[in-house]
Amino acid sequence: MPVATDTKKIVIHVAQIVIDELKLEDITPETFDPDIDLIDEVGIDSMDLATVALVIQDKYGIKIDEDDYPKLTTVRFIAEYIERKLKLI
Amino acid sequence: MSTEKITKIDVKADPAEKEWKFSDILADRKIRERWEKVRKYFFLRESTYDMTHRCNVKCDGCYYFEGDKQFASENTDVNSWRNLMKEEKARGITFVVLAGAEPSLVPELCEVCYKEMPLGVIASNGIKFIPESVGYKIHISVWGNDESSLRVRNAKNMLIRQIENYKNDPRAVFVYTFTKHNIDEVEEVTKILSEHGSKITFNIFSAPVGYDGDLRHNEESLFRTRENMVRLLLKYPDNVLFSHYSAVAHTHKYGLHDLYSCSYPRMNPSTDIGLGRSFRQYRTDLTWDRSAACCVPDTDCVDCRHYAAGSAVVTARLFRHANNPESFKAWLDYVDTYLAVWVMEYEKGKNLCDYFVAPPGYDIFL
Repeated sequence: MPVATDTKKIVIHVAQIVIDELKLEDITPETFDPDIDLIDEVGIDSMDLATVALVIQDKYGIKIDEDDYPKLTTVRFIAEYIERKLKLI
Repeated sequence: MSTEKITKIDVKADPAEKEWKFSDILADRKIRERWEKVRKYFFLRESTYDMTHRCNVKCDGCYYFEGDKQFASENTDVNSWRNLMKEEKARGITFVVLAGAEPSLVPELCEVCYKEMPLGVIASNGIKFIPESVGYKIHISVWGNDESSLRVRNAKNMLIRQIENYKNDPRAVFVYTFTKHNIDEVEEVTKILSEHGSKITFNIFSAPVGYDGDLRHNEESLFRTRENMVRLLLKYPDNVLFSHYSAVAHTHKYGLHDLYSCSYPRMNPSTDIGLGRSFRQYRTDLTWDRSAACCVPDTDCVDCRHYAAGSAVVTARLFRHANNPESFKAWLDYVDTYLAVWVMEYEKGKNLCDYFVAPPGYDIFL
């Protein structure tokens, strides 16, 4: 699957990754609120977030710093982080 | 066996030079299966609880009787404990560790905790049997043979009494703590435990703050400990719950904090996510103090090689182990071991690495 490169598409793609990795049910990437707090409101833990970060590294060919991923707590934060990293490539 | 011999015989070449994708690492069927097995337990979120200040033995170097926590008043009210467990569940805790000083002396409190929070461990000296109605894993501390136990713990026939209480008990895991002086005794103790069908894992004595006794390890004793751990792992594969990487992580020249950046609140100011956010260590009066919160409070952090600390701290470092297959397999062995030791009915698989792998960013030993 080709990776998205504009913000809206990245948001949808990241939401899909989160849904897949966390095995969330009854939600689609389009209905996933990109500003929902993945830790406080979805209830994911550091191991899940690390897994999401590893998958995103793969899909976008970027390197996520170990100190950065704990701060990527919403789909939008993750998408913006990806965008910044892609601009640096 | 010298360091040189071990590295020549047992160490796999480091494949870290290639840039690995996580998906490429998971393309290996054995790795993927183990990953899928362990990740089901990512929901575990622990906190620990001192249950009483009483104990029926007095051990040299005991962590409970260091620092302020031993002076907290004792809450013996069953309803207070029930309410605490309900509150803990509400804030997302899914796994409890009932520890200091000796939880078997307050079985009614253990029972209340179990009814509210069915996943957990009790750390016990094993002298008093904990009723089977408390379905937690029970970690029974062993500090050498009976001669050493009498000397260090002032208790007679300790191992015999522990075995009488817990042989054939699926809850029980015997935790052999290596001090500087009981390394050579592990062979006879493991043999005895294996003959009784018991499960064994290993711990490293880690000095409490200000400890000036002679149980503290040095590089030579850590190295001999590692040799013994691995030898017994290979000799008693059905009884010893351990891995090569567990041996590396816990007997390295550097302690767990240096190797893996301890994520317990006591050493980790971040409350973003993980242990720094959710972990609490409750005293017997049901209060907790962030500045003292870790799995074994009052341990000298530089010397910390506790099995309990590693179970959380090494496991939390998934991200840094997932950059090449060897590191990741070693990490999976570690997590598989930790789950078998800590979670009822979790069955340990065959280790993926039968050789030493270095912690990310470090050498095997130095």
